Amino acid sequence: MGWLKAAGIVLVIAGSGLWGLMGARRLAQRVEELKNLRLALNFLEKEITYMHTPLSSAFKKTAYFCAPPLSCFFLACSERLDKKAGVTAAEAWMTGLKELQKISSLKPEDIELLKTVAMQIGMSDTYEQHKFLALLQEELKIIEQKAREEAQTGGKLWSYGGFILGALLVLLFI
Amino acid sequence: MREEKDARIIKREILPYLAPGIAKLLWGKDDKFFAGLEEIRLRIKSPLILKIGDRDYTINRRGEITTRLDDAYVVEGEDIYRSIASISDNSLYAFEEDIKKGFITIPGGHRVGLAGQVVYKGNNICILKNFSSICFRVAREIKGCAKGLLPYLIDKNGQIVNTLLISPPRCGKTTILRDLARMIADGIHIPFPHNVVIIDERSEIAGCYQGVPQLEVGVRTDVLDACPKALGMMMAIRSLSPEVIVTDEIGREEDIASIYECINAGVAVIATVHARNIEELERRVLFKELLKSKSFGRGVVLSRRQGPGTVEAVYRWDD
Repeated sequence: MGWLKAAGIVLVIAGSGLWGLMGARRLAQRVEELKNLRLALNFLEKEITYMHTPLSSAFKKTAYFCAPPLSCFFLACSERLDKKAGVTAAEAWMTGLKELQKISSLKPEDIELLKTVAMQIGMSDTYEQHKFLALLQEELKIIEQKAREEAQTGGKLWSYGGFILGALLVLLFI
Repeated sequence: MREEKDARIIKREILPYLAPGIAKLLWGKDDKFFAGLEEIRLRIKSPLILKIGDRDYTINRRGEITTRLDDAYVVEGEDIYRSIASISDNSLYAFEEDIKKGFITIPGGHRVGLAGQVVYKGNNICILKNFSSICFRVAREIKGCAKGLLPYLIDKNGQIVNTLLISPPRCGKTTILRDLARMIADGIHIPFPHNVVIIDERSEIAGCYQGVPQLEVGVRTDVLDACPKALGMMMAIRSLSPEVIVTDEIGREEDIASIYECINAGVAVIATVHARNIEELERRVLFKELLKSKSFGRGVVLSRRQGPGTVEAVYRWDD
């Protein structure tokens, strides 16, 4: 009976500890994804403003430039536009964002920020494209900074908190 | 046969660029309708206008062609936005230079005119934005339409005479000009073929898409697409050794100066100009002097009296 109890204690502590570590990892991943997103948007901006690459090709090139899950997002946008089925850039962008939310560590407020540019993407001259993409990158930089601070403080809280919570649960049950 | 061809071209090359709601209404129309269709005009909060021959028609929400505008399909901002997105491949920035000129040419050589808010800096148009209307002009090549006219433009040595095609807009000038270029370059109905250069400032003659002619302009024809006429004529003389230069809608002082250069360099020029008749043309100082100089050997006046391309008169100024 004793060994069963011991196994239960280990399982509860390990389970909640793992949950805490995953929470901490999510925070760190969000920082990484925000940074990658900012760099990807910078790449996209250059493709649009200097190379005048058509949007579907610019999305494709950006997808090759960045890592998953962002590469999946840009590739999905490109594929939707390539079908030439009357899909606008805004629609491709919005649908892509819905999927990105499911597979990334980005918070809903990050996705909301990206949604604000849907109607502008591709649909103005190079100067306007440069302006809003540069602004978006600046905003992402601020969010990234906040996310980094959050990851530093919150990361520790999640990592230790998980194990502490597990220990508390064990104490409660015993 | 021609009706079928026109319907096929419009369905394949124009309807995919229209907002899906409008394209769906037009898709099921019979071939006869497409044969006469010259323009599709989308103006925000206004009825969709279809120019068929000399008359304006519209289409109602049931898909019936009618002249009653009160029953018409009313174009919404969404229709304009979706059409612009399709035309520009969702990349307006890639068509900035075209948009500054007020049009985008789509594959097939069809010209899409744009109107909206013009952003101006100094004497230059920076960009056109907040689009309020779009006009799709169907580019038609009617092979052989200039067959009857060509013999008048050849001298006794088989050389092309400098010719001015005169007509108001929508009288078939560009279609005739394109066919003349094709026949002259291919040596059809003339003693021998010539090297032709088309200076296509507005991408209308050859209907170039990304620099490649979409309409048949002849095997010995070079096209300087989107090139200002005056610069293009000088470029052509220097580098393309043309025997005939073909250009559309001359009117500026520098165009006339370049025409003098071409003519005095032994290159024949076929050009078009907007005017209803010679009298109207002579009221413009530049053209009065040009005609007086006898630089042009022929003048051809066109109208729509018996359909586009009706030849009203051929003037011989070199006799």
